[in-house]
Amino acid sequence: MRTLLRPLSRPLSLVLLSAAARPALAQEAEHGAASGGGGLLDPHAGLMVWTLLIFAVLLFILTKFAFKPLTAAVEAREKALEDAIAGAQRDREEAARLLAEQRAQLEGSRGEAQKLIADARGAAEKMRADLLEQTRQQQAELLDRARRDIDAERERAVADLRREAVDLALAGASKVIERNLDDASNRRLVEQFLTTIPANGARR
Amino acid sequence: MRLFGSLALAATLALVGAPAHAQDAHGAVPAAPAAQPSVTDTSSAATASAAAAAVGTAEQRGEAQTTVAEVAAQGHAATPAQAVDIITPHITDAPHFEYPCLSGDYAILTCEGHLPTGWIVPVGSYQLDLSPTKHVLMMLLASALACLVLIGAARAHKRHSHAAGHPKGFAAGIEALVLYIRDEVALKNLGHHGEKYVPFILTLFFFILFANLLGLIPYGSTATGNISVTAALAVLTFVVVEIAGMRAQGAGYLNTIFYWNKDLPIFMRVPMFLIMTPIEIVGKIAKPFALAIRLFANMTAGHIVVLALIGLIFLFRGPASTAPFLAASAIMVLELFVAFLQAFIFALLSSVFIGQIREAHH
Repeated sequence: MRTLLRPLSRPLSLVLLSAAARPALAQEAEHGAASGGGGLLDPHAGLMVWTLLIFAVLLFILTKFAFKPLTAAVEAREKALEDAIAGAQRDREEAARLLAEQRAQLEGSRGEAQKLIADARGAAEKMRADLLEQTRQQQAELLDRARRDIDAERERAVADLRREAVDLALAGASKVIERNLDDASNRRLVEQFLTTIPANGARR
Repeated sequence: MRLFGSLALAATLALVGAPAHAQDAHGAVPAAPAAQPSVTDTSSAATASAAAAAVGTAEQRGEAQTTVAEVAAQGHAATPAQAVDIITPHITDAPHFEYPCLSGDYAILTCEGHLPTGWIVPVGSYQLDLSPTKHVLMMLLASALACLVLIGAARAHKRHSHAAGHPKGFAAGIEALVLYIRDEVALKNLGHHGEKYVPFILTLFFFILFANLLGLIPYGSTATGNISVTAALAVLTFVVVEIAGMRAQGAGYLNTIFYWNKDLPIFMRVPMFLIMTPIEIVGKIAKPFALAIRLFANMTAGHIVVLALIGLIFLFRGPASTAPFLAASAIMVLELFVAFLQAFIFALLSSVFIGQIREAHH
């Protein structure tokens, strides 16, 4: 420890010496201050009072006329910016909402249209089927009636023809055998003959 | 270079006369009582007369002037008989100030304006000398500059904000500076609801900054290189810190003075209280003390270095003086940085101290 301190002792003593000499130097400086100048380390109460006074006034003036307006302006600007950002956010959300709404609406109307078209198509199909059915029925009905008419007409015509034929045959035969034949027995014979002929065949 | 030599403070010639005493920059230590009457007087008179001596006319103005002319002449003869300290008067306070004026055959010289003296206010038995000094004048000037710049910036801000939505140019720069100090230095360190202390921190910063900068211009003087000024600011900061502690913690403020740890058993609590309480008190006082010394020492040291280098210009003469000229210029640029740095540090540490005591939980 001692050997360690030895090389240090000289600078150390110098430092201590200068520290001890300091008050003397300060005193000297004060001496100089008394004669007009000012020492480096001597306090000056008047100057401290002046410093505090000037600082207080400066604090008041700057706070009132510089920092408050400046801060207020900056805060107003920040607020305006924030408002603008919030507004943009709101607008964007609104737009997104509207877009979704529109899209949903579009989707809805598309479905509706689809449904309408399908309905219309179904209705048309049904109507067509109905109409077809109706027409077919009418046609069948008409056909039926025509067939019935034709049958009735034919029957009447056959009956008429038959009566006419009987009449003609009777007239002819009566003319032929008027003289020799018993009218009644001959007639029966012919009638018998006629019944053996089928209606169709007779027509041919 | 030659022009600069004759125009700049030619009193540095005195250093030439006293190379042996050159390292003794502390206090005015003239060897001859004849040079004693007014240290600062001699220095400024030396400005005129030493310049005169340089051309050998030795214009006579007064007793002090004659003395310095003699000193300068002796300096020429390189006889280390008398020393005139030209550094101390430049960094200490004085009851007068210097300003540029036209005088005789030389373009710009230093004239002296005398400030009123004898404003003595008796406070009890103490005679408080409220006479304005050079540093008071410099502080007033710094305050005026701060007001001019900051209020101007606020006005311009308002004007530009209306026109373009944001400030432009110089006002934008000042706004950025104010916002940086407010957001990054003050609010970040002051803790929650520290907005009340922001103007104090901002004013500290700008007051110290402008006072620092005024010391860098010719004929200016560094008020913040005066221990009284920095001590007053530190005391003010100390008061603000303690009041902030009281306001934020109420009765809990006492815990920042008296160490009464309830986690410790009682037989440990009492000795810890007895040991820690003085430490807490010393810690409280050490902070503003460090603030005051730091600012004072930084500003003073820088100026001593610059003045010593300027002195070397005259000591070297001829082409060799380019080296100290460049060195002085470089140190001057460094000083410009230090002016900002020290103002920043004072403001930063003040807000840190306020924030600390407001958040303190013992």
